[in-house]
Amino acid sequence: MSTENPENTAESAPSKEWTLEPETEYRFELDPGSSLAIKLVRGHAEIFGAELVEGKTYLFGSECKAAVFTWQGCTLEVTGHPSTEYVSEETPMTAYANLHIAFEQMRVRALRDVRGSPPPTDEPAASQDPPRILVLGPENSGKTTVCKILVNYAVRAGQGWSPLLVNVDPGQGGWAAPGAISAASVFAPIPTYSPASPLGSVATSAPTALASNALVPLVFWYGHAETKKNPLLMDRLIRNLGGHIDDRYLNDQEAKPSGLVVDTPPSFASGPTTDVHRQRLIKACVEAFNINVILVVGHEKLNVEMQRTYGARITVVKIPKSGGVVELEHHYRERIRNNQFYSYMYGHIIKPPAGITNATLGGETLDDFILSPSSTVISFSDLTIYRVGAGAMAPSSALPIGAQRVVSEMQPVIIDPSQPGSGLLNSVLGLLAPPNPDENERYDEELLDLTIQGFIVITNLDISKKRMTVLAPNQVSLVGKTAIVGTYEWQEQ
Amino acid sequence: MSLYPNYYGQPSYANPPLPPAHNGFHHPYQQQQYQSIPPLPSTQSLPVYHVDPVTFRRDYASRLAELTVNSRPIIQNLSYIAQEYTRFANIVAECIEAHIRRVPPWMKLPAFYLLDAISKNLYDPYARHFSAFVTPLFLDTYQVVDLSTRSKMEEMLLTWRTASPTGKELFGVPPQVSIERGVWDTTGNTNSNLPPGSTITTPQVLRELEFTLSQKERALQNNPYDGVAQKHITVLHQLRNLVETGVSQDQLHLILSQLRTLLRNTPPQVAPPQPVIPQPAVWPPSYAPVASQAPAAPYPPPPVNAIPPSNPAPSSSAPSNIASLLSTLVKAGIVSANAPTPPPPTDEKVASPEHSEQKRIKSYRQAVLAIPVKLNSNDITRQRPPIVDLLYDRLTVQCKQCGIRFVDNDEGKKSMNNHLDMHFRQNRKANQNVGRGHSRSLFVAVEDWVHETIDIKGKGRADGTRPVNAKVAAAAEAAKREAELRALSVVVPLGEEAEMKACPICKEVLQSEFLEDVEDWVWRNAIMKDDKVYHATCHAEAVTSTSNLAARLRNEARGSRSRSGTPESRVTPPPTRVRPTDVKAPSLSPSQEAKTTGTKRKVDPDDLPLGHEHGGTPPLKKLALSPSA
Ligand SMILES: [Zn+2]
Ligand SMILES: [Zn+2]
Repeated sequence: MSTENPENTAESAPSKEWTLEPETEYRFELDPGSSLAIKLVRGHAEIFGAELVEGKTYLFGSECKAAVFTWQGCTLEVTGHPSTEYVSEETPMTAYANLHIAFEQMRVRALRDVRGSPPPTDEPAASQDPPRILVLGPENSGKTTVCKILVNYAVRAGQGWSPLLVNVDPGQGGWAAPGAISAASVFAPIPTYSPASPLGSVATSAPTALASNALVPLVFWYGHAETKKNPLLMDRLIRNLGGHIDDRYLNDQEAKPSGLVVDTPPSFASGPTTDVHRQRLIKACVEAFNINVILVVGHEKLNVEMQRTYGARITVVKIPKSGGVVELEHHYRERIRNNQFYSYMYGHIIKPPAGITNATLGGETLDDFILSPSSTVISFSDLTIYRVGAGAMAPSSALPIGAQRVVSEMQPVIIDPSQPGSGLLNSVLGLLAPPNPDENERYDEELLDLTIQGFIVITNLDISKKRMTVLAPNQVSLVGKTAIVGTYEWQEQ
Repeated sequence: MSLYPNYYGQPSYANPPLPPAHNGFHHPYQQQQYQSIPPLPSTQSLPVYHVDPVTFRRDYASRLAELTVNSRPIIQNLSYIAQEYTRFANIVAECIEAHIRRVPPWMKLPAFYLLDAISKNLYDPYARHFSAFVTPLFLDTYQVVDLSTRSKMEEMLLTWRTASPTGKELFGVPPQVSIERGVWDTTGNTNSNLPPGSTITTPQVLRELEFTLSQKERALQNNPYDGVAQKHITVLHQLRNLVETGVSQDQLHLILSQLRTLLRNTPPQVAPPQPVIPQPAVWPPSYAPVASQAPAAPYPPPPVNAIPPSNPAPSSSAPSNIASLLSTLVKAGIVSANAPTPPPPTDEKVASPEHSEQKRIKSYRQAVLAIPVKLNSNDITRQRPPIVDLLYDRLTVQCKQCGIRFVDNDEGKKSMNNHLDMHFRQNRKANQNVGRGHSRSLFVAVEDWVHETIDIKGKGRADGTRPVNAKVAAAAEAAKREAELRALSVVVPLGEEAEMKACPICKEVLQSEFLEDVEDWVWRNAIMKDDKVYHATCHAEAVTSTSNLAARLRNEARGSRSRSGTPESRVTPPPTRVRPTDVKAPSLSPSQEAKTTGTKRKVDPDDLPLGHEHGGTPPLKKLALSPSA
């Protein structure tokens, strides 16, 4: 139930008080350009597993759609104009909490195993494996939210867990920008404030109050929104990421029991069973991340398929989807992607509703989210640019006479910015980490196996002067670097 | 009419976290050794009055007049008022200074304790206000008080060296140095590098030795099984005997510099836990101000607990200190190599302080494992999860800044303490960074990510502190950049040595010094731009903030702006690097003929920063463009 605040005035945005019964949630959706402020007045409440602090005002924007859930009941003060708001008594939180407990049991046993303690006599047969969870589901099933809740509950337990969160959905940026395949260790709850940062935020030079607003991910650049664009490259990047995670575990045995959670693209869950690429990519994830639990969010057919394929060695569980998950239109996704590139470069700028002061954005002061990227004019020869694979081919007309098109899906093709139709203007590029300093260790396709240092965007090409303007997140030197262009484009709007 | 409710002076104290002085708790101001002041309890119960400055000044001065003896209630009451009325910080500072100057010598020390308490517990903005006059005030007072008061003032002075929230000088380096110079008549600076030529007196060393010893003893009292502190104390006792019997000037130098290093790496010890109540159920008072703190009021956590990030725990840095202290002293022949050290604590002893934590973890694990949930679709939807027990009830203490919860036991308190320090440091950093541009960091390299290890196994990870390479690296990078800037110098033009030249940005006079090796006068931390000489640091900051300003303008304009015109006309945030077109970097360019990577690419292994020689490329020109409208 809700009551209008009698103190509403013309200068302030309207504010309402909502009193929630235990195990219900307040859901809201925001229109473009509007923002919402929520204050927990009494009781306990959490947003996708991250607890709110009583008396603190949280700000939401950029078309955020979220829910404030309470286990024990609470009162919220909500200020602003959501396009939709209501309280729901039907939530999947019971199931998600039970999942968390099951995974917590696995972590406890795994830690005992790592430390060499013998298993208690009453459960000699229990697995000593930490939870390594692959979350599958079609579009709009709330996969990312499930991942976030599971990770947030793990870090909140007071046990010092730091699970790895892996994002293999190139259609959404997770903590950075779209087009990437990446993994980050999570130490503290991930806040929710904007769909541009569904899984927290990559570190900036600004100090942050929350560790999850300064994540340190390892990032590979795939460069396309769709997995079917280059499944071979996806496969390779997933396996590369898995390899580095293994190395990390070797380096820190005690990090292993915390386990990992993998967020996947919707394409893994849709399409015919006979789709070899889809099956191949799921297999790549299962193998690369040594998956032992597959969660299928609300999709019976996929559940059956996964049970049949992996049921013998992997626990496959179908889990309910939240009624709060809404169908998202194509344009909404486009806007969110643009917003992710924007916030990667410039941070978040969300104006609080009128009359709201002292609001925090994901637990941080608003100003700390404002970033200054760097725009640089460089010579064409300063930066070496590649495209990967046949899709990268220049139009036939651009080929020299007699040249033949023999490029495999995985071949890096150098792009000459001075050629018309290079397609570089407004393209997003992944700036590669330096190659192996030892020349003898180099190999042809090495650049497919390099992680990236960041994303850059070519904002202007001056072919006559052989110069281009490049927007970079900071004043990183681009000279002598190599970058890979995909199919993402971004223009400031 | 009184401005403040009449709680001051009441026998039963209104704020419960601090037990009253007669309750077995040692009053810090009546103890022989000087101690840090317990942090202030919550002020939530304080009603806020709207007062004008004149009334405030009159009222504060009259309350201050009552501070004739070392009375803890009065000092705390005056501190609360200072905390509540930071907008009148200048008035508070003026009142205290006037009071100390006016009262007779025997009444001055209590007011200094007040100044000390306010500076350490509230720090900002008070330390700033006090630093303006603390040097003459301290030295003038020191001259007129008796010997025992002097020694108390010296103890207080020593605590100021590391009492800022970042573990630095409470009132800044210049006041600290000037006061110490005035008190001990040495040219010693406060860091561990003592200038070689200065004379050190035995009383000075003994004084600092006593102080260090008292800190260590307090540490041992707080943590009786701290083997490192025990070792320290043994060595310090040895040292004291030595110094008392007389050592050479060189040895005094050595001892003093070692002492200062040791002290610098030891967080100030707060009063030992009061012994009366064995296991208090309440959260310790030191956290109360923060935990009960409304987010709007930027009151920092008690600075006494703030330790520099490089020293997360005393025990982590101490062993190497004691080792180096010992070995240096042994080498210098000051202490014997076979100094009797106390036996290492047994495992049993070490384990006992953590007993409650182990019990808690065990109980948590048993509770988790006992929950009969199976990992299948039916079970997870049917069972009622005891999640509230696991995530809320077992973790009763919540950080009021970010919502992270902690257990209510010693271990949890330690984590919470570290966690609050982390928030505090970040808040301070955020405040210091106003006006400077921030930007997205680069992603880490594989090697760094793979080795992103966790500081303490299984401990403290959920407290929000993150063992980051990237952040540490960024901080180190910033410090390095600053050091590089400070190292820049401009040779003073011939004939201008006697002229005072001011930095056009901060208007401060540029410091000139004579450099032996170049045999010339130079301005330090200076850079020449367009025939003007700036502080290198000021100039760099101005360039960055211009860029930040541009970004902010863009951000603000963004909401209303429609698609802007051609890319060329867009304002991009400076500094923009412009590379002359005629400059070629032949060694960097992959072969233009090779359309695919059939051949090995030749790439310069390092990412040399712009401006360095780069494979035969001439130095690149850096141009800082101001934003055009
Ligand atoms: Zn916190
Ligand atoms: Zn200056």
